[in-house]
Amino acid sequence: MDEFNDNQITKLLRLKRYEQPPPSYFENFLHEFHRRQRDELLRQPLWRICVDRARDFAFSFNLSTLTSYPVAVTAVLVCAAVISLKIYQTPQPATVAVKDQQVLVVPASTEPEWTLASPAATRVFNTRSLRNLTESAQTHRSGTPRYVLDSVPVSYETTFKF
Amino acid sequence: MDQPRTDEDQQLVARTQEGHASAFDELVVKYTPRLYGLVYNMTSNHEDTNDLLQDIFAKAYKAIRGFRGKSSFYTWIHSIAVNMTLNFLKKRGRRFQLSLDDVDTSIQNDKEFLEATASSSPVREADLSELQKRLNEAMMKLSDEHRAVVTMFHIQGMPHAEISKILRVSEGTVRSRLFYANRQLQNYLDEFRKNPVT
Repeated sequence: MDEFNDNQITKLLRLKRYEQPPPSYFENFLHEFHRRQRDELLRQPLWRICVDRARDFAFSFNLSTLTSYPVAVTAVLVCAAVISLKIYQTPQPATVAVKDQQVLVVPASTEPEWTLASPAATRVFNTRSLRNLTESAQTHRSGTPRYVLDSVPVSYETTFKF
Repeated sequence: MDQPRTDEDQQLVARTQEGHASAFDELVVKYTPRLYGLVYNMTSNHEDTNDLLQDIFAKAYKAIRGFRGKSSFYTWIHSIAVNMTLNFLKKRGRRFQLSLDDVDTSIQNDKEFLEATASSSPVREADLSELQKRLNEAMMKLSDEHRAVVTMFHIQGMPHAEISKILRVSEGTVRSRLFYANRQLQNYLDEFRKNPVT
């Protein structure tokens, strides 16, 4: 008996192109495709739908003209301006703020007495606590200036007492 | 199988890219029978073919904005179809269900089929439907890549150059895969002819 040769196999395989589903399958395929697309759209979160719509809107314009050289240069310049503004607006260390901070830092053990004077002068500073504060501040914050507390005259304390 | 007119496809693609979904519908209608034959002969299962075709067109619709026309739409959509089918077959492994026995029985009344089987050959000696079944089984014994090449060349009638573009391999690779696949099919069918009961 003869064996199968290439030509016979080719003929047999070519016949397989006639293996097709019934015509109704192709008629319904597009409807099925639309249905699946709608289902997928309903499953998507709202933000994704918004992003897709925005992208579609962007693509409705000719993006190649928008991404031209002048626009790119402008974008780079705007970015550079924003970055430089950020750099120049970086806050400098203020010495006044440091002084105020030191005045207000009073240990709990000092037991302050409240007066009717302005808030800046409400504390009755006694010498002992001031010394302690100064010493502790010098120990832990030796780098910061403390000439305000040190400059308070001892005789000045009693005038705040009623 | 003749390729569709490229300029017509280009117009439909351009209209789809402009947002006309109806243009893509025309592409779907046009390419569904062609891609059905490709995917079905690679998967041998109607349900898998249907799901894959839906996924293929959905993916194509999402990606069509990025289609720049470097290749024809024909090549592009076939590349998507072949790649997705090969990925699917890798996931599915060898646990396939042959639904090819549901093959349209009208094929045995087809003129070309009768001509092919009328000549003196081993085909005439075997039961035709059984031979079809064995051929399908032999096809499924090929590797996925070899089956893809056989399907595109023998069944779909694509030229070697088109297959090499779709698979992104050289024409020499396509020819060698075809040669190897033909030998494999020949061996399987000869074995069946010698031992028809098995």
